[in-house]
Parts: sequence; C-alpha cells; structure tokens
Amino acid sequence: MKRKFDARWVLHLLLGLGGLIMIVPFVWMILTSLKSRADIAAYPPQLLPTEWVWSNYQAALDYAPFGTYFRNSLLIAIGHTAINLMLATMAGYALARVPFRGRTVVFMAILAMMMIPTYTKIVPQYLIAKGMPFFGGNDYLGRGGYGWLDSWWVLIIPGALTPFAIFLFRQFYLSLPRELEEAARIDGMGEFGIFARVMTPLVKPAIATVALVTFENSWNNFLWPLLVTTRDDLRVIQVGLAAFQLAERTEWSYLMAGSTLATVPMIVLFLFAQRYFVQGFATAGIK
Amino acid sequence: MTSTLESPSVAPASRAPRPPRRRRRLGAERRRAAYLMLAPSVIHLIWWIGLPVVATFGLAFTNYDVIAGTIEWAGLDNFREIFADDIWNLSIWHTVVFTFFTVPVAMAIAVVIAVLLNQRIKALAWYRAAFFMPHITATVAIALVWMWMFEPNLGLFNLLLDRVGVNGPAWLSDPDWAMPAVILVSIWKGIGLKMLIYLAALQNIPHDLYEAADIDGASSARKFFAITLPLLKPATFFVFIVSMIDAFQVFDQVYVLTPDGGPANSTTVMTYEIYRTAFGEFDISAACAQSVVLFAFLLVLTVIGRRLTGKDGDEA
Amino acid sequence: MTRTRGSRTRALTVALVATLFATACGGSAPGNDDETSGTIRLLTPIFEGTDGKTVLEKQLGDFKEKYPDITVEVDYTSYGKLNEKLTTSIAGGRPYDVMLMGVGWIPPFAEKGALAELDESRQELTQRYNERVVEPGIYQDKVYGLPIMLDTRFGLYRKDIFAEAGIAAPPSNFAELREIGRKLTVRDGSGKLTRAGVDILSNDLRQTFLPLMWANGGDLWAADGQPAFNSPEAVGALQLMTDIIRTDKSEDFGFTQPGATGLPLAQGRAAMMVGHNNHLLAIEEQAPELIKEDKIGFFMITNERPAMFQGGTLATVSAKSQRPTAAKALVGFLTDEQASLAANEQRGNVPALNSLADSEYVQSNKAAQFAMANLDAAYSEGGVPAWLEIRGDFKAAIESALLGQKTPQQALDELVVKAQAAIAKG
Repeated sequence: MKRKFDARWVLHLLLGLGGLIMIVPFVWMILTSLKSRADIAAYPPQLLPTEWVWSNYQAALDYAPFGTYFRNSLLIAIGHTAINLMLATMAGYALARVPFRGRTVVFMAILAMMMIPTYTKIVPQYLIAKGMPFFGGNDYLGRGGYGWLDSWWVLIIPGALTPFAIFLFRQFYLSLPRELEEAARIDGMGEFGIFARVMTPLVKPAIATVALVTFENSWNNFLWPLLVTTRDDLRVIQVGLAAFQLAERTEWSYLMAGSTLATVPMIVLFLFAQRYFVQGFATAGIK
Repeated sequence: MTSTLESPSVAPASRAPRPPRRRRRLGAERRRAAYLMLAPSVIHLIWWIGLPVVATFGLAFTNYDVIAGTIEWAGLDNFREIFADDIWNLSIWHTVVFTFFTVPVAMAIAVVIAVLLNQRIKALAWYRAAFFMPHITATVAIALVWMWMFEPNLGLFNLLLDRVGVNGPAWLSDPDWAMPAVILVSIWKGIGLKMLIYLAALQNIPHDLYEAADIDGASSARKFFAITLPLLKPATFFVFIVSMIDAFQVFDQVYVLTPDGGPANSTTVMTYEIYRTAFGEFDISAACAQSVVLFAFLLVLTVIGRRLTGKDGDEA
Repeated sequence: MTRTRGSRTRALTVALVATLFATACGGSAPGNDDETSGTIRLLTPIFEGTDGKTVLEKQLGDFKEKYPDITVEVDYTSYGKLNEKLTTSIAGGRPYDVMLMGVGWIPPFAEKGALAELDESRQELTQRYNERVVEPGIYQDKVYGLPIMLDTRFGLYRKDIFAEAGIAAPPSNFAELREIGRKLTVRDGSGKLTRAGVDILSNDLRQTFLPLMWANGGDLWAADGQPAFNSPEAVGALQLMTDIIRTDKSEDFGFTQPGATGLPLAQGRAAMMVGHNNHLLAIEEQAPELIKEDKIGFFMITNERPAMFQGGTLATVSAKSQRPTAAKALVGFLTDEQASLAANEQRGNVPALNSLADSEYVQSNKAAQFAMANLDAAYSEGGVPAWLEIRGDFKAAIESALLGQKTPQQALDELVVKAQAAIAKG
C-alpha cells in the first residue's frame, strides 16, 4: 500500500514538471500581453511586468474589428467541424469495414492528397473557387464572374473535409471487434444502421479528436481566408492578429493579448472534449 | 473466378458460415452502402484537392509565368533546374534529418504520456490540457520564449551550460546548432497532438485484457509492451504517417525560429523553398516540380511505413 | 510509338492545365472606359490595422468628394502576404486596379506587362521629387509607379555613449567605423559581449550590406546590366562586415535576435548600428527618454561616398484595369501631399515629395528629416526583372562570410553566378 502511494507522488511530480515545460510559452504570452512597451524591450527580460497594463487588451481589440472576425472564425470553424464529422465518419467507416474492389487504391489516394503542400495547391484552389459554375455571375462553364470568391461558400466548403479525418476514422473503425457488427447484422440491421447506431457510438474518442483538431485548424487558418476575400467583413481572427506584425515592427503586447484571447476558445473546447477520453468508454458497448 | 474456388478461401475468415448466395447478395448490398457513404467525400476531395494535385503535377512540366499569364510545355526543365540548385538539395537533406529525429522521438514520448494520462488520477484534465497546450499556443509566442531560452548570453541553456563550465553555442544563430534547436522545439510542440490521438486510441482497448494480465501478475512495463502497444497498431500507423507528412511539410516553427532559411541556409527545409519559389520568386512551375519531389518522398515513405506496421492493422 | 505517346501526354497536360487556368483568366481585357466613374479596387500592403484603415478611409472620403462617381473598394493586406495576393488575383484574371507595392516589384511586373504606364514623365516628376526617388518607379524609361512613402537605412548612434568615450563625431569612413566600433565594444570578465561597438545584425542583412557597398563606391549592376556585386568595392563592404564580427569582434553573430530580444541600441547594448528610419519610432516607444534627451544621432554610411539605402511603397495601375482613368486618378490622389503625408505619419516613414520636407511631421521626426535631407545620396535596389529571385539569396551569402564559411570574395562570386543564372532564365 505504501509503495503505491509513493508511485502516485512520483507520477504527479513527473507530470507536473512535464506539464510546466509545456505551458511556459502560454504563460509567457499572457505575461507579455500585460507588459508595457518598455518592459517588452527590456534586456534581460523581466518575468513579471513592472506595471500591469490591462489596457493592452482593450487596445488590441480596438486595433481591428475583432468582433466581426471572431464571429466569422467561429462560424467557419463550426461549419468545418460539423461537415468534417459527418462526411469523414461515413468515408472512414466504408474504407475500414466494407471490403470492395479498389478500396486500397481509394485509401492510398486519400493519403496522397495530404502529400502536396498548401502553397502549391492554393493557386489552383483559388482558380477553382473563382470558376464555380452558376455562382457570382459565372455561366455554366464558370466564366464571366467571380464564382465563390468573397462569399461564405468559399470560406466554409473547400476546407470542410480533411483526408486527415477520414484516415483517423478509418483507423478507429478498423480496431473495433467484428462480433459487434455481425450480431447487428443477424438482427437484420442494414449497413447504414450498423454504422450509425452500433459502430459510431464506439468511436466517440475519435470524434472528439477530429472535432478538436478540425476546429483548431480552422480557427488558425490564415492564408486561405485572406486570399479568397477582399472585404473586411468576411475576414477572420488570424487576419486580425497578423495586422499586429507590421513590416517595420511588431506590436508585441497587442499581439500577445490578441493571441491569448484567441487561444481561450480552444482551451475550453479541449477541456470539454477530453472528457470523452475515459477508459472503458468503448468497451462498455461490447459486453 | 468461380464460386467453388472463391468460397473455400473466404469461409475460414468468417466465423459465421452462411450460404454463399446470401453472402454474395449481402456483399453487394454492403458495397452499395459503402459507395454511398464514400461518395460525398470522394467528390469533395477530387474537386478541392484532387484537381489541384493534378494541376500541380501538370504545372511541374510547364513554364507557367503567372504574372505574364503565359504557359508553355517545359518537359523536365523544371526538375533539371531545381536539382541544379544546391540550396534545394540541401533543403531535402535538412527535411530528412528533421523528420528522422522529430517523428520517432515525439511519438515515443507521446505514447508514454498518453498511457500515463489514461489513469484515474487527480487533476487529470489539467495535465492533459497542459500537454496539449504547445499545439494550440500561437507559434509566435512559442518562438519568442524559445528564442530567449536559446539566447547566447542570458538564455536558460547557456546559463546551465555555464554552470558546468561549458561555453554554449549561439544556438539559433549557429549553423551547427540551429537545426538541433529547431528539432528540439518541434518535438516539444509535436507531442500534444500525438498524445491526443493515442489517448483516444487507448479508449478502444478492452479493459478485461488488463484485468487478466493483473491476475497473472504482469508488471506495468510488461502490460505496456504485451497489450497496449500491439493494440495501438492502427493508431501508431496513423500517427506515424501523419507525423511524417507534417514533418516533411514543416514550415511555421522553423520559419519563426530561424527566418529565411536560418544562418547560412542551415535550417532551410523543402516547404520553405517551395514557398520561396512560388511566392518569393513567382515561379509557380518550379515550385510545383519541387512539390512533386516532396510528394514522391512521402509516397515512398508511406509505402515503407505500411509494410513496417504490418499493413496498418488491416487485419479487421 | 513512344514519340506519339509522349506528345499525346504533353498535349493533354497542357490542355488540362490550360483549361483550368483559361476558364479563370477569361475576360478582362484593358477597358476603353475613359470616364472617371465606376468602382475600382485597391490592394494595399500598408494601412493595415485600425489605425491605418482610419487614415486611409479618411483620405478616401476626400477622394470621393473630388471624384463623386468613383467608388474605391480596398483590400487590406500586409507586405508579408502581398505576393500571395498579387499571384492569385493576377492568375485568376481579377487584378486590382491600383496596386501598392515595393521597389523591387516594379521591373518584373512592368517587364511582364502587368502594369500600365502612367501619364508622367521623368522630367516632370523630378520637379516634385528628388531624382533618386523617382528612379525605382521607372522601368525602361517609362513611369509605372509613383512613390507614396520611403523607408531608408542609414547609421544610428548613441550620442551619450560616444560622448562618454570622448568621441566627437560619428564615423566618416570605414576605418573610423571599425576603430570606433572596437573602442566602444564592452565585454565582461568572462568575455561575454555586453555592448556591441557597432551593430550590423539588427537590420535585414541585405539592407545592411547594400548601403555599405554603395558607400564603398560599388553598384549592383555594371553598365552592361550584368551583376556587379562581386566588384572589389562590394567585396570590400562585405569584408568590412566580416572584420567587424570576426577580427574586431565588435559584435557576435547571434548577439541579437531581431524581433525577440529588442533593439540593442535602445537597450544600451550597442553604441551604433546600421538601422532603419523606423527604428526611431521603436526607440521612442521603448525608451522615450533617449529621444527626449536627444541621445540618438544619425550618420550617413560613408567611405568613398555617403550612401543611404532607399526602399519604398509605390502606387501602380494594373495593365488589365477596366477603368484606367479612375485608377490613375486614385494613384495621383494617394501620392499627393495630403494623403502621402498622412500615410507616412501613421507609419513613421519618410515622405517622398520634396514639398513635405517642411511639414510639421517631418520637422518633428528627426529620422525622417535626416533621410529627406540626404536623398541625394540615396540608392535603391532592384532594377532588373529577376531581382525578386536574386534578392532572396543575399542573406545566406552574407551569413556564410560572417560565419567564416566562405571568404567575402567567394560568397559574392557564388551569389553573382546565381544571379546571372536567374537573369538568363528571364
């Protein structure tokens, strides 16, 4: 009994130390967001601000229309997450559980789609968005107008589905025992029913993971929203944060204040999502 | 193939023997359902990623002048041009080194932390959040802190080295140490996401396996190697492939820690060169050729990775 | 057989790519609309953030009063993402009517037919601007861009540190620069650098090297248009930088991490530096007492001749603009006294118009004042269409010399070979 007690302490010590190393930059970010310009430029740097400049937050928020940006980012992130969860679970299930010809080819093709860097894909993607037929004054061949540019479509649809998510779901559906689906099949359940009612509830941890990652990627996306919009009312939070970094100098305190605020939703989401990582969650259904 | 030949090879795999005809009908039904479930994703991916990927391959063999708006066939010229560039070749080497050192180390640390954070202990949510923080902290903030830690005069590393009588290097400004420094930060930053995926995968391991091992009196280490790791195979395959793709396309943290390729190009990586070619020099075609090379590397590594992890847990 | 197959693939590829791009590029030939009316689009890498936006919107309000029939749609970006915006908009056949861009952009964009010639002549412009300021906007004797603001690099020094050491004046040649640098360098007992005699690492390395090269009598291009930045003068300039780091040890490579560790001159960790006029603004924010007590001085980098690096933001009109008249009106407006003064004031930069030398802003900003007084000795980079390709290689070449991996001669020779290849590629 005594031995076990000691092990707990060692564990907490290790995790505490490790955790501390992981959060230092975040803490530093908060402290920097409260420093005066003189403090930020000090050498050697001071851990704590000499004066706590809470007004940095107000100043940062006034620096750009962050209300609009925040709303836009939130709508886009929620849209991306919802669509990704819906489509990628289905695709991942089909790839994992149903044998069909060319399954490996489809799977490898989906992996391959992750292997071309953003910077080369982005120009063709822009052209596709601009050439969307019937939108934005375009004819059926996608000529004449501006397609999806400067619209909510282009902000939400192109980035809504990720090969990452399909791949992750496939791996999780793969690891579920076969007995479950066979039992359901004997009960006369169709394939879609097995997917939706038997298997998907068992991959909740994967759903939480994909939701978290999708939301976060979408929240941090910068280049695509900047390129496909020209209007300020369609821009996102990262575009606002980028404005603190001018060519000649960076407004560090504002940048850190803005970044701190932008991180909060993701922390909240994480604390909420991690509750789905509880041992015995998946196994409960098997017995 | 005739059914007489097919059925014996199928039958042993399925534990519930059924009349072959019903099986076949069921198979067709299941396939139809699968096609329906795949269709929206496949259409979306072909349109938004497939076409751009095809365009990338096409453009790699052309001379496309984006500003003048001219395009002409170039054959292999772009490939000849990029491989004649020693900085591009250097960036390939850097990328390989970066991937080789970051991916396995970060994966190993991540799986251990995931197992540690999969117990019922106090403050669990906060520990988990702490380890995930580097993944969601703004890259500029991360860079700022690490730059101070690497600072030659007052930085934490050199102060510690001073204590033991070692004159520390200038880290991010030293061509020999910039890459190790960037690798260290990347391992640190990469643990969170990998841990999260492992954590999710751990939930799928039936608890009774551990209970049985407990009865046999197995040690924690033995349980980890005998039960946990083998059952994490599909997740490991996933983490490995995704981490490798991420490592090969690393850009952000390298760029903010060591801007513009680092001291004398000592940290330039493939994606940075691609970015510079495309948007610094407006040479989209050459950037596409570079991307094709990057793609080829990743494809080969993925195939090797699949072999290594035993067909990615396709056993299901 | 293989031949046919080869050409079929080839034709298919070109057709495929062309379809993708042609559908997007269709339409938009130069318009023949000569009315000053309609909607025009402006892309700007300056004026970002609320402060900048407020300034621009106020100016555009005045523009609207002057041209009630023109509506201006503004797309705000930053220099960091300007190229991505330009690339996608031009590739997509949706270029902006008015584009603000840097000095190095003019030759490639003009050469490739992306810019419209402005209705200005060099003679006329030199009435309003210093000749040096006009030059970057001209390509092959045609005017494509008008300057809104300049950013300049020259020497900054700490008058207090100089006075303490009994040094009366800033260096007037390279030998003095090195000597003063050595004299003002301070290391602690363990040999750690606590004050750099001269800081050549806080400013972009290329933009530090080039003014030194010009001051040493060197030039970027020879008379035949070939790269000349491996001339004895250029090598001498890089040698000076290498000597400061490696021989005099007046600064250590890695002494400053621009962005993270603050500005050494403001912290008292450097006695002088090659800097940007905008550093004055940074000092004012970080250590306002240095400005109040007049402790910051400026000097032209001088050896064979005085020199100053001059970059800037220019206003251009797209060759594909449907409303060139309106676009040119906007260029004229943005570069006029009122609007360009407002932009420079917001940004802490140097106005391009001669007439603004007497403005209240310039009189109050000593760096801007110093820069404007010395525009005769200003030099600009760029000049050739391949410049955007060439300039990216400077940093690593300079670093390889400073780190002792290569001699200055080797480093610059290799750089010139690369530049020649880039120019030949066209």
